[in-house]
Amino acid sequence: MSSGVESFRQLSPSEFFYRNREIAGFSNPARAVYQTVREFIENSLDATEVHGILPVITLRISREDPSNPNHITIQVEDNGIGVPPQFIPDAFGRVLYSSKYKFRQTRGMYGLGAKMAILYAQLTTGKPFEIYSSTRKTRYIYYYKLMIDVKRNEPQILEMASWEKRSKWHGTIVKLTIEGEWSRRVRDYVAVYIKRTAIITPYADITAILPSVEKEDEYEVLRFPRVTSMLPRPPKEAKPHPLGIDLEMLKMMINETGAKTVLSFLTSEFQRIGEVTATRILKNAGIDPDKPPRTLDDDELQRLYKAMREEKYWAPTDEPLSPIGEELIRIGLKEILRPEFIATASRKPSSYSGHPFIVEGGIAYGGELASRLDEIAQDSVKGETGPYIVLLRYANKIPLLYDEKTDVMWSIVDPSKFPWRSVYKLEPTDTVAVLIHICSTKVPYKGVGKESVANVEEVESEVRLLAQELARKLREHIQRKKRAQEARQKLSLFLRYIPEVAASLAAIAGNGRGTPDPSIQNELIEKMREIALAKIKISEDEASA
Amino acid sequence: MEEYIDKIDLEARRKSAEAIRKVFLKLIDQIKKGEEPRLVIKKRTLANTIYDPAKKMLLLGESKAVRRFFDEGEVKKFMQTVLMASIIYDALVNNEYPTIRDLYYRGKHTIPKLSESDKEINTWDEQDESDAVLRDVEVLTNKLREEMLILSKEKGKVVGDMRIRSGRDVIDLSKMGHGAYAIESTADLIEFLDVNAEFVLVVEKDAVFQQLHRIGFWRKMKCLLVTSAGQPDRATRRFVRRLNEELKLPVYVVADSDPYGFYIYSVFKIGSITLSYESERLATPSARFLGVMMSDVFGDDPPIEELQTSILGNTVDRKALKKRYVEVLRKYGYKKSLDKKPFLSEEERKMFIIRAKQQDIARAIELVGTSVVKDILGFEPKISVKGKGERVKRHPGYPWFRDPRWIKEISIFLYTLAKLEIEAMASKGLKFLAFEYLPSKIETGDYID
Repeated sequence: MSSGVESFRQLSPSEFFYRNREIAGFSNPARAVYQTVREFIENSLDATEVHGILPVITLRISREDPSNPNHITIQVEDNGIGVPPQFIPDAFGRVLYSSKYKFRQTRGMYGLGAKMAILYAQLTTGKPFEIYSSTRKTRYIYYYKLMIDVKRNEPQILEMASWEKRSKWHGTIVKLTIEGEWSRRVRDYVAVYIKRTAIITPYADITAILPSVEKEDEYEVLRFPRVTSMLPRPPKEAKPHPLGIDLEMLKMMINETGAKTVLSFLTSEFQRIGEVTATRILKNAGIDPDKPPRTLDDDELQRLYKAMREEKYWAPTDEPLSPIGEELIRIGLKEILRPEFIATASRKPSSYSGHPFIVEGGIAYGGELASRLDEIAQDSVKGETGPYIVLLRYANKIPLLYDEKTDVMWSIVDPSKFPWRSVYKLEPTDTVAVLIHICSTKVPYKGVGKESVANVEEVESEVRLLAQELARKLREHIQRKKRAQEARQKLSLFLRYIPEVAASLAAIAGNGRGTPDPSIQNELIEKMREIALAKIKISEDEASA
Repeated sequence: MEEYIDKIDLEARRKSAEAIRKVFLKLIDQIKKGEEPRLVIKKRTLANTIYDPAKKMLLLGESKAVRRFFDEGEVKKFMQTVLMASIIYDALVNNEYPTIRDLYYRGKHTIPKLSESDKEINTWDEQDESDAVLRDVEVLTNKLREEMLILSKEKGKVVGDMRIRSGRDVIDLSKMGHGAYAIESTADLIEFLDVNAEFVLVVEKDAVFQQLHRIGFWRKMKCLLVTSAGQPDRATRRFVRRLNEELKLPVYVVADSDPYGFYIYSVFKIGSITLSYESERLATPSARFLGVMMSDVFGDDPPIEELQTSILGNTVDRKALKKRYVEVLRKYGYKKSLDKKPFLSEEERKMFIIRAKQQDIARAIELVGTSVVKDILGFEPKISVKGKGERVKRHPGYPWFRDPRWIKEISIFLYTLAKLEIEAMASKGLKFLAFEYLPSKIETGDYID
């Protein structure tokens, strides 16, 4: 580790990521724009909602240099907690320095994404990164213009300034310029990313100002005003679960712990380990419980890790998770898709390999749904015959747009596998939107692109149960609607014939001249309507459906 | 206008209007009580048509259907029934004489839509629909359409030494010149004044009726001469029934010698299957089939060389048929000796006989039933129906045709596959028909009743 051979030059973390930028999603100019937007928006949401602030976020994309149309400038402004000025250079200019290096659910895991974007900008356009930030406590707004010294993994401050605040503004404005592509496809992905973010953040006010693809100097504005002031429950920091760590993590924790003995290290740094369990682990590992943790040698560490894995524990606590919640899912689906029907469901917390997770979601049907589908969802409704399933995938509140077909969520709702028609009675012409959110302290992504979730057995099972619950609720609605419609048709049929029969009977009962007696006629109409309405009861719920 | 209408009409109107009110005001009571309105109607189905051997009539059985307004499948029919009743009621109280076509037109209109998306619905589209509910109203009120002053085309005619009152006029049926009195639709409203006749002769064919009228048949034979001009209408049947019932005159029917002619006789005598509910008032159970019989054409013992060698594609042995003929008649209880001589010679038969078609054979099967025909022929008859190919046409037969005398006639028909029209008898000579054939048949009692 630390003692490498002299002739091998050490690679700084910045350099490492710089050389392997593909894995962070910066594989090409088109993807780089999308990825940069994503990283900054996610940072902004984490800087607001997690801290109880209703987010106000503005994204501006522009082409500021007419001679370089491929230079795309991306600016994101939020009203978050801001970054204290002394941390700004390191927070944005040094890789692996991050407030997110904690054990709880956040959108980005280590805050690496933003730094990758800064590195990518530096690589492609050579333009520095600019940031304005102010916390709630300070009276000043601070400005930095930074670059990253890749070799040394150090921030390089090009400019800095500060102003006294005239309002109570707090938050962060970041701005950078990358070499990218602004095509119809990129625009659609960015727009869909914003729209799908808006669905699950109805408490946020989001504005996106995007340049026109066809015309220079023209912009389109996507506005998603706040529709509720309800925030999702924030994640609580929790200690790691003993099954949720690997050997490297264990070593890192030992290095950082303040515990004096291995025994107290285990009981104080992990959840679900008490004295009894810790003693048993150490006994099984053949380690003296009083030994100071940092004195464990490699062999002892291996034995400790093995013994920890063989022990049985309570499932991990779901406290570090921050699900969206059924109510917000409902509000978001309603606001963005305006469907006729929404059902939501939330599975109980579960876990895989020591990582807690929750699967929740919603289903939308009818109404304006088909006309309000976003640009990517429209691809799902093509083809000869339905039912068409539009899947809105989310992992830790991040919309997943790429690699849908390899995702565990798709493998469940795929109409060629899920019995939408046979069991859940959908018609071939139906379009249904299914929103699924998997949140976890560690989402089991497939590959490093973080765009699709792997088929982990426990997760797959929960996704299936969720999909079944949602589909069942939809079926109930459709059947209720069908029954109500039949009843309405029946009622209107009776109502239509009632005046005829009343007129005929009133004529027979009338004055002996064959003309209907109006008072009898009206009474008969009234009475028969009463009988009809009593016979066909349409509940309020069904009538409004 | 009312002063021109006679009392009989007005009285009939009053009774029928009352019958309609009695049935349909019940619906108003039901509705006012908050009950779902419903009509109980005797079923007019074949299954609910019963032959009463004592009365010798087809009658409606007791099986009833409930027609509900609050039933998606019946609401339209219910509306149509009530609508028809109100139209008839309206015509009755306003002294009108609608035809069934008028009833159709008067009731036909578009039902107002409740919303734009509603489909266009008419009260009824085809006259079939209004005719069907008219029959329901007849059954519900127990009033025939004629009693409700609904008119239809006059088809039947009568001449003879008889005076009747129709409306305000006295009509002498012996003073009709070359013409005849057209039997009015409302045969019940005719008043019989006096009659000088010993029997009634009903001739199916109008042309033969005219011939017999002109040659003075009814004067010479002291009878009333009636024609139905083909399939008898209700008025003619009711008129004949009244002559039989009220004046005690025996009724003889003359029709073509083929299963269709036999069936027309059966309509006079028993009633028709589709309109069995009217039989009680329209049928003449004691009507006699005078001719033309197959045995009048071939004699009781048809010549062996005139039998078929192939029937319905089956090769048959004539000798065996002859034997079978006697056995079948014995089996079904034929007692009389088989000694009637034919009225036509072999040459005349060759001239006048028409070959029977598949549909004639099919009707023969319908009359006596498949099992009897199987006994007669010795094999199960297969009839090719248009477009459906050959198949066994099974029919239970009508009970009143399962009479040894009819089995004899049907046997001769099946063995010879011959038909003979009444006109053929006139062609042999009108005088022969009028003054030899018919009188001798009546005198010797050679009829089936």
